[in-house]
Formats: sequence, structure tokens, C-alpha cells
Amino acid sequence: MILLLPLLIPLVGAAVLLGFGTGGRARLLALAVGAAEIAAILRVVLGVYFAGPVHFGRFLRADGLSAFFLLNVALVSGLAIVYSLDYLRHVEGSRFSSPRWFYALLFFFVFTMIGVCVSSNLGLLWIMMEATTLASALLVGFYNTRGAVEAGWKYLIVCTVGIAFALFGTIVLYMAAIKSGLAPEAALDWTVLMEAAPKLGSELALLQLSFVFVMVGYGTKVGFVPMHSWLPDAHAEAPSPISALLSAVLLNCAMYTLLRYDAIIARAIGANFSHTLLLVFGAASLVTAGLLIVVQRDLKRMLAYSSIEHMGIVAIGVGLGGALGLYGALLHTLNHSLGKSLLFFAAGNVRQNFGTSRMDRIGGLARRLPKTAMALSLGTLAIVGLPPFALFVSEFAILSEAFAQSRILIATLFLATLSIVFGGMFHHLFGMLFREGKQSPASTGLELSEALPIAITVLGLAWFGVHIPAGLKGLIERAIAAL
Amino acid sequence: MDLVQIAAGKTLSSSAVFLLMTVLLLAAARRVSTAIILFALQSAIITAQVMATAYTEKAAEAWIVAAMVFALKVVAIPSALLWLVEQLKVSRAMEPSLSSAKAVFITALMIFLSYAAVQPYARESRVPEDALAAAVALILTGAFLMVSQRKALMQIVGLLVLENGIFLAALTTTFGMPLIIEIGIFFDLLMGILIMGIFAFRIRDTFDHLDVTKLRQLRG
Repeated sequence: MILLLPLLIPLVGAAVLLGFGTGGRARLLALAVGAAEIAAILRVVLGVYFAGPVHFGRFLRADGLSAFFLLNVALVSGLAIVYSLDYLRHVEGSRFSSPRWFYALLFFFVFTMIGVCVSSNLGLLWIMMEATTLASALLVGFYNTRGAVEAGWKYLIVCTVGIAFALFGTIVLYMAAIKSGLAPEAALDWTVLMEAAPKLGSELALLQLSFVFVMVGYGTKVGFVPMHSWLPDAHAEAPSPISALLSAVLLNCAMYTLLRYDAIIARAIGANFSHTLLLVFGAASLVTAGLLIVVQRDLKRMLAYSSIEHMGIVAIGVGLGGALGLYGALLHTLNHSLGKSLLFFAAGNVRQNFGTSRMDRIGGLARRLPKTAMALSLGTLAIVGLPPFALFVSEFAILSEAFAQSRILIATLFLATLSIVFGGMFHHLFGMLFREGKQSPASTGLELSEALPIAITVLGLAWFGVHIPAGLKGLIERAIAAL
Repeated sequence: MDLVQIAAGKTLSSSAVFLLMTVLLLAAARRVSTAIILFALQSAIITAQVMATAYTEKAAEAWIVAAMVFALKVVAIPSALLWLVEQLKVSRAMEPSLSSAKAVFITALMIFLSYAAVQPYARESRVPEDALAAAVALILTGAFLMVSQRKALMQIVGLLVLENGIFLAALTTTFGMPLIIEIGIFFDLLMGILIMGIFAFRIRDTFDHLDVTKLRQLRG
């Protein structure tokens, strides 16, 4: 029953918002629903942490891995809801583009992502992943400008086709499970599949085929190169709190589905096949996105490419496996979501004040918007992986695993790309901070509701960079144990 | 063996040929409404296949799936799309980026490729080869329709054809997924069409056309 609440609250909340959320009430209602939803999620996370996996019926289950990603959903969605309170002040209420629709769709989006984390059935997992696209497409096209409509359409089409391949992969795995003698009702349940994995090993060709399709399908939603074409457009055109949710939660949820499949396939036919695929896609994403960051002209597009780069790093961590690889990868998903939320919140403020996110039109940030400039600088320091911020720790863990396994090629690519990204991002940042700008900003500084989420992410990044709390460490250990 | 059983068996083996015909006609279609009707026809053939499977395998759940396929893919979605074509009042010609002759030729090649691809597998596991090849051909040509057509609505049709292919693949290899999962997938499909319809209106309103190849603002 405690598993049902995190699903019901955002769903009911979205309905209530659509029904009664006119005028100023939308914000208050959203805060209340958001608080209830976070409380419900925390209850599940604590339950899993202290008492082990919980399940509800045949289709819902949460173990350590689900709990870890649920925590990510709760954290970032909470920050995004608070940040949106004042961010939405300029939005006039046209159809599907009012604060009421914004929050309703946001809660529906959150519902689908929670659904991804608590599905115990690979079919339901697919249904929820497809629903994340449907729920967020209207949010991506929220501003209704030419760019937003184009980005929304592209997002919808590319991700739906990608996900269709994942459905095919799911069917192939189902077929392999049935041929190995599992009952049709149980053949999609991943707890059953994990137990029966050694039996599945005889269907080598089918399992490999299945993982390739799943990798391409869900990989589209993770944003792996070369299936990433939707990602920069969607991140750049969406309202900034939605960009933060896409980058910091959605990509992680897609990664979560790959982790589930990887665990099943690795148990059945050995880790070599799936891990090699993850390494290849991870390295391709890391290097390509890293190089593309340098040539970006738009602040939010640059951040989007940085997300692709970081998903590449996570995939490399998972692909390396071992004691530190997986630990580093999981920690990195959380660290990256903190860092990227911070950056998108700051970028949203820049865009609101300058009316554009084109970097050549933004200048003199340091003097004109000192608080925003500070947030942007701290975020950049964190995201390029400098100590004392948290991303340094997780990147270092993955890198040491690469060296421990003497994967010199991976380690070299990793280090080279990180230094290119370092140079590229700071070049762009200094331009915006100190260049004489043509345009002057509309206002100065941040509202309280915008400053608060920014402060929380900065504190989190600094805290996890210096010391990883025992609770978080325990949660990650439980997550790894579930794989 | 009674007459119905024979009919069911024949439906399964011959429907693949009809499916391949719809695919070839789709490649040659010049109007969006023709393509939508061809999709409805294709879904009707698949409905017959589900019913035949339900009969031969004595699977009660499959009758429900057949009813859903019919209601959704033969009736609801095609009529919604035809309504959309009327409402959007854009020019009816599809202006594909390839000539019909080339498109039919490429589709024929894809059908050939599908047979070649499934042959080793079908022989080994006693899955009806024609049906599986048709499923793969639907997936390939659906994807091909999406990349070769300019109109937003034709991309939706391509996606639906692709989805039909995946559904058929599940049907021929495992007699379909569990019922509750199928229902969820149908629900996603319906919502997907709804949201794509909303976007089609928006594209028309902001760009005054539905030519997705002209959506070229976002680059790099």
C-alpha cells in the first residue's frame, strides 16, 4: 500500500490542478501536492532502506535500486516545483500553456517517472517509459514558439520510435523466457527473470538480440550518441525547470531501465556482451558530446550536450562494473542531477532577464546579475568535475576503476574529453561573465523561490564532495545489491 | 478437423500476403487519406489474425485483444486521423521526397530482406515464416515511411505501421503479451495519437504548413 501512494498523489494532484487550479491557486496547490508526494516517496525509500524490498500486487515493487532513483525523483521534482513558483510569473494563460496546465502536466510527468522506478514488470516498465515521453512532450512545447513546437514534435517522434524498438527488445526477451519454460504471466517479471536467469542462458542469440534493441530503444531516451538528436532541442526549448527535470531525472530513469536489463542479461549470458555495448555507447556519447560543447552558441544547448556527456560517463561506469565502477556510476547519476539542476535553474534566470539564451548576446553577468553569475559559476565548477564538488568524487571512482582494470583507452578518452569540456565550458562562462554586453537585463537577481533551490543544490554538491553521508552510502550499497 | 478450424489456419497463413500488399500500396499512395485507409485495412487483417490465433490456441484473452485492435486501429484511430486531415485543411497531396516507383522498389527490397532475416530463426523454432517476415517488413517499412515522407500526418501513419509490425511480431512468436500489458500499450498508443494530433494543429498554426522537413530552426 505504501507503494501506491507515490503514484496516486501526483495523479490525483494533476486532476485537482486541472479542475481547480485557476489563477493564483495553481501555485499553492502545486506546493501542497509536491510536499505530499515527496513525503510519500521518502516513506517508501526509508521502508526499503530499513526493511528491504516492498511490493504491491503483481506489478509494483521497490528494492534498493528503485529507492535510490526514487530519491532522485523526489529531490529534483521538489526543487523544480519550488523554482517554478516565480519562474512562471510571465506566462499568460493560453491553451495548454497556463500555470495550471504546467503543474498538472508536471505532476503527470513525475507520476510516469515514479511508475518507471516501481514497476516490477518489464511490460509495465515500457508502458511507463513511453508515458514519460507523452507527458513531457507538451511541456517541451510549452512556450508555443516555432522553436518549441519543432522541438516538441521532434522529441515526440524520435523518442516514440526509439521506444518502439525497446518494445521489440522486450518481446524478444519475453519470447526467450517463454521458450525457457517460464509461465506467460511471470515471464516479464524481473524478479522472476533474475532468479531464472541461469536457465535463460541457452537462448544466447535471442538474449543478445533483445539487449541490442533495448539498448537502442531506451538508449534513445538516455540520449546516447547517435540517438541523441532530440535531446539538445528539447532541453533548450523547454521551460528551464522542465529542462532540469528532463536532464536530471528522465535521463536517469532511462538509465535505470538499462541497468535492470543489463543485470538480467549479464546473469544469463555473462556480463561481457552487455557491458561492451554500454562501454561503446558511453564512450561515443562522452567524446562526441564533449567536442560539441565547445562549439555551442546557446547556453541551454551547451548544458544539454553536457548531459549527454555525463550520461556517457555513467554508462562507462556501469560498463566497467567492478566494485568502484557501478558505485561511481550510481553516485554520478545523483551528483549530475544536482549539478545540472543548478545550472538549468541559473540558465533559466539568465534567459528570463536577457530574453535569450544565446551566449553571444549575454554579457556582463558578473556585474549586472551577481547572484545568478555566482550560481552559474559554481554550477560550472561542479559540472566539470573540480574538487571540492561531488562530481569529482564519482568521476574519480569511475576513472580509478578504469585504471584498475587497465582499460587505458577508456581512461585516456575520459581524461582527454574532460579537459576539453573544462576548457570549452569555462571559455563560454568567462565570455558571459565579463564581456561587455549589448543587452541589459530586465531585473536584478533572483526571487527567493529561485534562490532556495539553487542554494540547496550548491550545498548538496559541496557536502557530497567532501563527505558522502552514511545513509546515502548505505542506499547505494543496497542498490548495487539489487543488481 | 471442422470447417472453422481450416478457415482459421488458412487465415494465418494467407494474411501475411495481404499484409505485404498493403505495405506496397502504402509506398505508392499519393494521398494522406489513402494511406490512412490502407492502415485501417492492414489493422483489419491483423484483427483477423488475432481472431484466428484465439481460435486455434483456445486463448480467451486473445478475443478481447482482437476486439481492442478492431475498435482502436480499424475504427477509432483511422477516423480520428481522417477527421484531422479534414480539420487541418492542408493540401491533400503528400509530396513525398521520393517518387512512387522508387518507394515501391525500396519497399520490395525491404520485404525481400525481411524474409532473408527471419529464415534461419523461423526454421529453428517452428514459427510461421510468412507471418514473422511480414512483421519485420511492417517494422522496416513503417520506419521507412517516417523518414521518407514530409507530412507530419504521414509520420504518424508510419509510426502506426511500425507499431502494427511489433504487435504482429509478438503475436506470431509468443501469441501476444499478457492481456494487461497489451491494454497498457494500446492506451499509450491512443494517448500518443492524441498528443501528436495536438502538435499537428500547433505546427499548422505556427508554421502555416505541415511539412516537417521545413522544421529546420534548431541546429547544431
